[in-house]
Amino acid sequence: MLATARPLDTRFRVETPEGIDLLLRPAGLVPRALAFAIDLAIRGLALLALFFLLGALGQFGLGLGAILLFLINWWYMVLFEVLNQGRTPGKQWLGLRVIHDDGTPVGWAASLTRNLLRFVDLLPFAYALGILSCLSHPAFKRLGDIAAGTLVVYRDSATERPALPETEPLPPPFPLSQGEQRALLGFAERREQLSAPRRAELAAILAEPLAVAPEQAEERINRIARGLLGPT
Amino acid sequence: MRLTDASVAIRPRNAWEAIDLGVLLARRHRGLLMTSWAAISLPIFALLSLLLWERPSWALLLFWLLKPAFERLPLYILSRALFGEVPSLGGSLRAWPRLLRPQLLASLTWRCFSPTRSFELPVQQLEGLTGEAHRQRLAVLGRRNSGSATWLTVIGMHLELALWLGLVGLLYLLLPQGVSLEWDWEQLIFAEQHDGLWLEHLSNLLYALVLVFWEPIYVACGFSLYLNRRTQLEAWDIELAFRRLRQRLTGAAYALLLGAALLLAQPAPPAWAEAPVDPQGPLAERLLQQPLTSKAAHDAIQQLLDQPPFENRKTVTRWRFGADAGDEAAADQGDAALVRWLEWLLELFNGGYLVQALEILLWATLVSLLVLLIWRYRDWLQTFAGRLGLPQRRPTTAPSVLFGLEVSPESLPEDVAGSVERLWDEHPREALGLLYRALLSRLLHDLRLPLKASHTEGEVLALVAGLAQDELHRFSRTLTTCWQDLAYGHRRPPAEMKTELCAAWRRLFPAELPA
Repeated sequence: MLATARPLDTRFRVETPEGIDLLLRPAGLVPRALAFAIDLAIRGLALLALFFLLGALGQFGLGLGAILLFLINWWYMVLFEVLNQGRTPGKQWLGLRVIHDDGTPVGWAASLTRNLLRFVDLLPFAYALGILSCLSHPAFKRLGDIAAGTLVVYRDSATERPALPETEPLPPPFPLSQGEQRALLGFAERREQLSAPRRAELAAILAEPLAVAPEQAEERINRIARGLLGPT
Repeated sequence: MRLTDASVAIRPRNAWEAIDLGVLLARRHRGLLMTSWAAISLPIFALLSLLLWERPSWALLLFWLLKPAFERLPLYILSRALFGEVPSLGGSLRAWPRLLRPQLLASLTWRCFSPTRSFELPVQQLEGLTGEAHRQRLAVLGRRNSGSATWLTVIGMHLELALWLGLVGLLYLLLPQGVSLEWDWEQLIFAEQHDGLWLEHLSNLLYALVLVFWEPIYVACGFSLYLNRRTQLEAWDIELAFRRLRQRLTGAAYALLLGAALLLAQPAPPAWAEAPVDPQGPLAERLLQQPLTSKAAHDAIQQLLDQPPFENRKTVTRWRFGADAGDEAAADQGDAALVRWLEWLLELFNGGYLVQALEILLWATLVSLLVLLIWRYRDWLQTFAGRLGLPQRRPTTAPSVLFGLEVSPESLPEDVAGSVERLWDEHPREALGLLYRALLSRLLHDLRLPLKASHTEGEVLALVAGLAQDELHRFSRTLTTCWQDLAYGHRRPPAEMKTELCAAWRRLFPAELPA
């Protein structure tokens, strides 16, 4: 029964009205907890510094401190998320960002909702509900995320141009789908990470369809990949 | 192991995503993982608690040390489930004693404290490596992802604590008020000496329950990290794609033949060019995942376009000339008439009639505006015309008749006093009338009194008084009284008045005396 089920994946597909699939990668508990810990530490340090700074001002400093405590506690996350493309310093550090469920940048309403409901996630103690929700939801949402319709995803980093072996390009001898082209290119790109026997083993799989001897398959695949890449 | 049977999407991920995949994997098999974990760990926990009833902390420590032994079962289940062979609960429980045998001592002692325990467990259990080979293998695998495995363990420790505190807090919140009032924090802390042993065992039990939830996830995360590392090292995703490609190309005989033929010839044109409907093209059905597919949307749009706001069919009835044969001809004629009218208009412009008419119209407008302006400010002009040097108009024209009496100078005789003296005896009325007329005429024309036809005799007297000429005033008063007495009262004036009045007249208006 499970064999027929769709393979598990961490990617979350959002289809836009234009029919374009956006691939989002929701972030799970561990990086989010670390990001939260970083934010907590930053807030703690800021409050400590304020405590010493405002302590010198006496009664006035006490009032000012209360206002700043409120601001830092309730608005730190919201302001950073809305004004900094969904990234608090902790999330920025770990390559995360907050977005709406449909992939659009997070707005005031959603950000306020998810951060005010943080206090539901805190229940009954030490984020127990939030942890349970995050570990049980397929997109790793805590209760605030479910209510606000937001998603914490990994940011896409800029991809580096991969280096392909310098060989004579060869057109593919048979039509290839996009996925198959990617696999051929990936084989050529990732040859540095693979051991030589493993490369030979992988290439030998395609020796028969390519109609070459297994020893020459690797070279042939590299040339086809070069051809697929086109002139550079 | 057959990669084509894998129930997860195999591709190289970053370490955090690999951990996330482990969470999803544990979520899919959660029922089996949690029940099997509970089935082996809870009886042992109960046994330990009973044996060490007096020392709950020791029981907890021993239970904690046994965790690596329990962890082998979820890993076994997950490794089978990954390739679609999910074992039954009974089967996995029966397999557990067999899993325990290899390297149990190492697991329970020094490897128990490794921060990357979850990541190392598959190497030991699934690859069965020992000693030097195990160490080398870990060195290779641990070049990447081991940092994340450490963080996983750190977060896991805090998470166990958080969940345990959450459960304790929940229990405390659910206590009836009466019970909680009796408690004292001091008593709770130092309960060991007294009868609080069951309380410690209760908290131990809560910890065991937390582990039922968390440990399978922890093992699954470590397992998926291990899988990810091997996917990177051995390019499992590429192997999978190559095997599928090979199956596609060699699976069918015609493909083989074609492939062999095409190898010698040119590369084949893309296969999708021959398809009747381009699957990527605009005509292909799209948005199949959404409630509104592209086909449904297209149909709905067509239906809407056939309906009134877009398709305006209406019947228009109007009068036409009888000569018009048909719609087409009528339309043509209408156009022709319009053209003629335009031409006529152009001629008008060129001929200059229209221009002239316009010029006249404009001048007329200007003149009427000026007139209107003067009319509007006529009072102002009247007031200030003198200052502006305009000739002063005579304010009033002297009336020629007052009280039915002719007062124009022309109607009077040359010698008024002589005429009066002559008439006095026979016609006293005419005589007094003449004198009074002559006075009024003099007042009007010589003294320029503004007399009007509506003035009465009394009013005339008052005006005369305003002239401040005593003699004239006295004479006028006497004459008026005599005239009123005679005219309205029919009383003859005394005879001596004749000489008095005539003398006064001659004194007042001597110019009329003949030279």
